[in-house]
Formats: sequence, C-alpha cells, structure tokens
Amino acid sequence: MSQNPSHLLPSELIDRCIGSKIWVIMKGDKELVGTLRGFDVYVNMVLEDVTEIEITPEGRRITKLDQILLNGNNIAIE
Amino acid sequence: MSGGGGAGSKTPADFLKSIRGRPVVVKLNSGVDYRGILACLDGYMNIAMEQTEEYVNGQLKNKYGDAFIRGNNVLYISTSKRTMSEGA
Amino acid sequence: MAATAEEDSAVKEPLDLIRLSLDERIYVKLRSDRELRGKLHAYDQHLNMILGDVEEVITSVEIDDETYEEIVRTSKRQIPFLFVRGDGVILVSPPLRTS
Repeated sequence: MSQNPSHLLPSELIDRCIGSKIWVIMKGDKELVGTLRGFDVYVNMVLEDVTEIEITPEGRRITKLDQILLNGNNIAIE
Repeated sequence: MSGGGGAGSKTPADFLKSIRGRPVVVKLNSGVDYRGILACLDGYMNIAMEQTEEYVNGQLKNKYGDAFIRGNNVLYISTSKRTMSEGA
Repeated sequence: MAATAEEDSAVKEPLDLIRLSLDERIYVKLRSDRELRGKLHAYDQHLNMILGDVEEVITSVEIDDETYEEIVRTSKRQIPFLFVRGDGVILVSPPLRTS
C-alpha cells in the first residue's frame, strides 16, 4: 500500500519539493516564489532567495528576501 | 549551508535557532513590517524583539525599545537583507 | 549579561517580556487600529490582560468625497479598568527600561 505512488501523503509531496523552487499562493493578494529548504508539521516553511509579490491598488510590489520562515497559517495553494 | 538538519534540509526549528540575536524583518498578515533584533520566540511564533522599528507601506511609523508580537499575526520572519522595487 | 543567579529578569521566551512588565505601564496595539496605554495588572498565556487606568486611542481614516484626501481622525477615551481579550492583540511594548 505505502509503495503505491497514488497513496502519496501531502506531506510526502512537499518533502519531494525540498531543494526545488516553489510557488506559494497566500490568502489575500500575495504570492511567494523561493527555494524550499524545509518544513514542519504545521507546514511552516523555510524558503530561500524569495521573491514576494503583493498586488496592491498602486500596482505590483516586489520584495526580495534572503531567507524566510513562512507561517503555514495563510497558505492557500502550493 | 544547512544548520544541522538532516539530508541538507533546514527545518523551521533550525532556522529559528540560526536567527536568534540577529537583525530580522517580521511581516504581519496586515502588511505591516517590524525590523529589529530578534531576542527570542516560542512555538506559537510569538516574538520578542529589540530596537524595533514599525514600517507601514515602507514608511517608518514607530519605534519600540522592546516589543512582543503575538504569533497569530505573523506572516513571515525573514533575515534582514532585502531590496525593494515597485512596478506599475 | 544575564547571570544565572538573576534568572527572574532574563528573557528566555517572549512572554517573559510581558511578565517583566507587570505593574508597569505598557503600550498595546490591537486590531482595527486601536491602541491602549495602561498599567498591566495581570495576563495569561493567551495574552488576555487586565489593564488599569487605560487610555484608548482609536484611529480612523476617511476619504473626503470631493478632494479624495485622506482624513485621519483619532478619538481618545479613558477607561479605569479593562479586560483585553488576547486574540485582538498585535503587539505589546513594555516601558523603556534602561539597560
């Protein structure tokens, strides 16, 4: 059973993304792109070389960040 | 690179250990930024900071000697280096 | 700096910052643009707090219909005794301590 790839747990999927570039869509008009370094049971994530994109009435605001710990609370799609 | 995590991964716990006493940017869900020296934090992401500066829309609004930030408001904790640009 | 003998005054976890502010006047930033200044009488791990001799400042921004200028209004009130529910708290700042 556990060897069947269709029974991949969500956390196993994220585990396979460690070291790759991922795109995270947050609640609200905000997105983050960065390299996944690690995560925990709450899906708090450590991301590196991050680009944060905020969509504001004035336009897109881009912020570059070295390394962040992203709170798993507000993640919508990853 | 990694702070002692297994197989080259850096877990949130490793990250938190590595940033204690360092300058950080804490962004809240409301969009407000706090910059200062991270004193300590706990499992709820409650944060104690020193020499804290509050930025709203990139503008300095307030300074606090010490500040406690309640963890539920925290969007991310970042190491301090950052650049900004605004596009149309 | 913090010797083990004076463990009481060491800040090891964030809530220690609050513990060290007991019976002092603190600043509390709440959701919906409310700020409080008052004397901290008690708190718990949720950051529910009992404050005494409180000044509350409420800030509101209105947009002028004709000029579209932002008008920032603040209203203040005094509250002798206040229970603050922790989930509304964003930030707590203790009085400036000389170190």
